Amino acid sequence: MSAPVSPGLRSGSLPLLVALMTLLGGLSLAGLTGVQTLAEGWAGAARNATTIEIPSDTPQLEDRTRTLIQTLHKTPDVTTVRELSPQQVQTLLAPWLGQISDSGHLPGLSLPVVLIIAHTGTPDLGKIVHETLPEAVVEEDRRWGERLNGLGISLVACAWLAVSLIAAIAILSVGMTVRRSVMAQRKAVEIVHFLGAGDMMISSRIAGRAALLSLAGGLTGLFFLSPVITMLARKLAPFSRDAGPIALPATTWQSMLVSEWNTLHVLPHLLLEELGALPLIAACLGWLTAQTVVLVWLRRLP
Amino acid sequence: MIRLLNVSMMPPDVGQPVLRNLTLTVPQGEFRWLLGASGAGKSSLLRLLTLETRPSAGQMDLLGVSISQASRTTLRNLRRRIGFVPQDYRLIGEWTVFDNVALPLRLRGASERDTRREAFAVLEWLDVAHLADKRPGTLSGGEQQRAAIARALIGRPEVLLADEPTNALEDAQARRLLATFQELVEMGTTVIVATHNEALIRETPAASIILQDGTLAGTDIQDGIAALRSNKA
Repeated sequence: MSAPVSPGLRSGSLPLLVALMTLLGGLSLAGLTGVQTLAEGWAGAARNATTIEIPSDTPQLEDRTRTLIQTLHKTPDVTTVRELSPQQVQTLLAPWLGQISDSGHLPGLSLPVVLIIAHTGTPDLGKIVHETLPEAVVEEDRRWGERLNGLGISLVACAWLAVSLIAAIAILSVGMTVRRSVMAQRKAVEIVHFLGAGDMMISSRIAGRAALLSLAGGLTGLFFLSPVITMLARKLAPFSRDAGPIALPATTWQSMLVSEWNTLHVLPHLLLEELGALPLIAACLGWLTAQTVVLVWLRRLP
Repeated sequence: MIRLLNVSMMPPDVGQPVLRNLTLTVPQGEFRWLLGASGAGKSSLLRLLTLETRPSAGQMDLLGVSISQASRTTLRNLRRRIGFVPQDYRLIGEWTVFDNVALPLRLRGASERDTRREAFAVLEWLDVAHLADKRPGTLSGGEQQRAAIARALIGRPEVLLADEPTNALEDAQARRLLATFQELVEMGTTVIVATHNEALIRETPAASIILQDGTLAGTDIQDGIAALRSNKA
């Protein structure tokens, strides 16, 4: 241990505070990533999809629908053309029409043919569809995409606000803890100051200890965060494109760790990197806050 | 050298000056008694000279540096050239006696080997080397005072200030300390000692700074002794 030239920091509740903040920050980051992914997914899906409804009373419905589907398949930028089955249409309309009987028909009401077109770019589908089937209703989902995009941006902004608030509370908590510690050791700090210790000499020692305690708190927070994140990853795994076969229950610690690690891989890599960096960010914040608080306090002395 | 010209000091929490138009000069390598009744301004003057505060008015030069205009860095470097024995010892309770005594040398960047050698030399001289690993709170008043003296003497300061440095010492130890102060003076250190110990003053006659109500009342040692007697009466 280096020779003391200035009082250190009394730890108090600093590691516990930082652990809690890391836990909250990690959860907020996970939430932020989830919201971002969802918003991007919604906006992307809506932007690149068009719904076509063909009324059931259209003459030569089946043949003309086939022709339209073939024309759409040949259209540049169209990636898929999917015709919904009557059951799928019923499910889609259930919120408005209620559950339909097993026969699949509503009394006095016949269901339209519904086509879902996925595409890239902005092909003029309205024109193409109306040339073949003027009776069809083309509903471009772009407007919905814009609305969803707006909603997504608002949700992401809220999540960022939550993360920023947690960071601000963490900085305030560290600042108050450091200030309390300095006040508790005011006499010792004044002694070393009046014996000729420089401001940076005093603040660096306190800030170094604050960084170390914050790092310990951050690692503790991350330790308690990992089961929550693993659980989230497990819930997300079935929806992941990279999801492999369902793992068998682990029987040894090693296989359990490998299994957990593989589960975590379904999460966005950026989120894993951000979570991994949390203890380091906590240490940096602790160091910076302590330096600032001590240096400001020392300015009161001549 | 210490030079004060019309120096006044008014702490914000007091509301009236504790030192008023004080003018005095102490050449480098001289000894002065600092005398006066309680409340005369001795501690305030020592606070000024240890750079714990700056004068509210007037000009103060210490070791060739004008204090009023000095930067924080200049004051910091100047403090490392001053030794101080406070009346309340001001030892850091969480540290060992050794770490307390070694602090001035460590602040000057001395090697740990030199720091250790010098710290133990001064602790042995003051008969407290066996307490080096103890914390100040476990020591008697006299032992704490000797640790504070050791911290002030280490590294041979250019200015040594002492506030009642013998009040917890036995007579023999007090005389020995005074002899050490005289040795430092011969080596070029300016020494100012505040005391109420009349016997000690009589044994070591020297020029004095006699304060009364925050002003300089005289420099003659006999006046100082008379002031101490009137205070006791």
